[in-house]
Amino acid sequence: MKKLFIIFGVLLFLLFIRPIITNSMEVQTSANTQTTKIQETATNQNNIYKGAYNALLKFYHYTGFANATSGNLLMILIGIMFIYLAIKFNYEPLLLIPIGTGIIIGNIPFVAGNQTGIYESGSVLNYLYFGVVKGIYPPLIFLGIGAMTDFSSLIANPKLMLLGAAAQIGVFGTFLGALYLGFRLPEAGAIGIIGGADGPTAIFLSSKLANGVNVLADGTTVKNLIGPITIAAYSYMALVPVIQPPIMRLLISKKDRKIRMKPPRAVSKKEKMIFPIVALLLTTFISPSALPLLGMLFFGNLLKESGRTERLAETARTKLIDIVTILLGVTVGASTQADIFITKDSMMIFILGALSFVIATMGGLIFAKFMNLFLKGDEKINPLIGAAGVSAVPDSARVVHTEGLKSDPNNYLLMHAMAPNVSGVIGSAIAAGILLSFLG
Amino acid sequence: MLSIDRISEGYLILITGLLIVFSALLILVLFFKYGLPLLLYSYKIITKKRVIKIGKQPKKSNEEFTGEIAAAISTAVHLYLNENHDNENAVLTIRQARKLYSPWSSKIYGTHNRL
Repeated sequence: MKKLFIIFGVLLFLLFIRPIITNSMEVQTSANTQTTKIQETATNQNNIYKGAYNALLKFYHYTGFANATSGNLLMILIGIMFIYLAIKFNYEPLLLIPIGTGIIIGNIPFVAGNQTGIYESGSVLNYLYFGVVKGIYPPLIFLGIGAMTDFSSLIANPKLMLLGAAAQIGVFGTFLGALYLGFRLPEAGAIGIIGGADGPTAIFLSSKLANGVNVLADGTTVKNLIGPITIAAYSYMALVPVIQPPIMRLLISKKDRKIRMKPPRAVSKKEKMIFPIVALLLTTFISPSALPLLGMLFFGNLLKESGRTERLAETARTKLIDIVTILLGVTVGASTQADIFITKDSMMIFILGALSFVIATMGGLIFAKFMNLFLKGDEKINPLIGAAGVSAVPDSARVVHTEGLKSDPNNYLLMHAMAPNVSGVIGSAIAAGILLSFLG
Repeated sequence: MLSIDRISEGYLILITGLLIVFSALLILVLFFKYGLPLLLYSYKIITKKRVIKIGKQPKKSNEEFTGEIAAAISTAVHLYLNENHDNENAVLTIRQARKLYSPWSSKIYGTHNRL
C-alpha cells in the first residue's frame, strides 16, 4: 500500500512539474536571446490563465447547474418525495425507493450527445432500460410472484375467482375513458391496464403498445407512455390503503361488512400441483398474447408446488425477483426525464389512473354483492373481499382485512381476500393479453 | 368521423374483452369446482389396488388367527420397541455455533473494567 502511494505520488509530482519546467526553460532561452520573446512568454502565460478560465467555463456548461430546467428540479423533488413516503410511511418501500432514486438519476441535467441519458442509445442506462422497453423484466417478476403465491385459498373456493374478473372492468372502463380524452387505440389500451393494478403487467403492455416505436395505420408513431403509465400504476398501487377504504364504506352496508365466511377447506398437495398446469393451459389457450406473463407465473408456481424444485423456487422468489426489481425500479424511475415526462398526456394519465382504481374497486365490490344474491346461508361471501379483485398483491387483501376488522374485530378476512387477489393477477394478465391481441 | 369510429371500436373491445376475461375465469372456476374432483376421483379409482372389504373376507383364513396370537405378537412388538428405546444412538453431534465478534458481548466495554 505504501509503495503504491509512493509510486502515485511520484507520478503526480512529475505531471505537475513538467509544465513548470518547460515554462522556466522557455523563460531562460528567451532571456538569452531577445526581449520580444519575454513579451511572448508573458502573453503565453496570460493565455494559460485565459485557457484555464475558458476550460472552467466550458466545464460549467457541462454541469447540472448550467443545464437545469424547472422541470428537472420538479421531478427531483418528486423523486425525493417518493423516497420520503417510502421511508416515513412504509408505502411499498421496495418499489418506491428504487423508483424515487431512479427519478433523481434520470433528471440530473446533462449535455446531450455524451451517451449519458436513458434515452440516448449506447448509454448504460439505455441498456438497462432495454429490459423495460422490450418487456423482459415483467415476466421475470411474474416468475417470482408465481413462486411465492399460494393459490390454495383460490382452489378451496373457486367461485371467488370471478371477483378477479369483475375488477377488470376498471381496465376496460379506463380504456374507454382514454379514448374519449383523445388518445389513440393502442395508447388507450396501455393506459387502461393501469386499472389492472399490476405494475409488471402495466409495463409489459405499455412496452408493447405505447412504446414510441410502433407505427399506426395512418402513418404516425404512437407516443412513448411507458414512463407515465408505470409511475401512475406503481404510485396508485402504493396508495391502495388510501384509495380503497372510502369506496368500501360507501358501497357496503355495515351489516354486510360483518358477514363471516366459513373457513376454506384444506387443499391437497395434488390439487396444488394440478392447478398451475391446468390454469396455464386454459388461460393461455384463451389469451395466447398473455403467454409471457401467465406462462412465467404458473411456471413459478409449479416450481413451488412440485416439491422437487425447492431450490429453483427459492431463487425465483428471492434473489431473482430482487435483482429484477432493482433494475426495473431504477430504470422506470430514470425514464421520467422531465422533457419527456412532464406533458399534458402524463397529467391525463394520472387522472385516468386514479379513476381506473376507483372503477376497479367498485366493480369488484358490486359484483361481490351481486354474487351474494345467489348464495345462501354460510355460503355467502363478505362483499368487502371484492375490493381485493384489483390485483395489487397483497396490499389490497390487507386493506380488506383491516376494514373487516374495523367492523368486527374477530372477523379475519385475509385468507378469503387472497383468493380474489391472486385471481386479479390472472385476470389482469388475461385482460392485457386481450388488449394486446386486439390492438398490437 | 374518425373519433366516432375509434370510440365504437372501443366499446366493441370493452364488451368482448370483459366477456373473454369472465369466460376465461369462469372456465377455471368450473374446472376447479367440478372437473378437478372428478379428475382426482378417477385417478383414485385407477390407482386403487384391489382391497378385499372386511365383510367379504373368506372366513377360513381367520380360523387360525386367534386373539391369543394377536396378543403374543403385540407383546413381542411392545417389548422390542421398549428395548429399542434403551439402545439409542450414543453418538452426539453438537453443531458448533459460530460466534462472530460483537461489541455488545465484548468484555472490553464492560461496566466494571473501564478503559
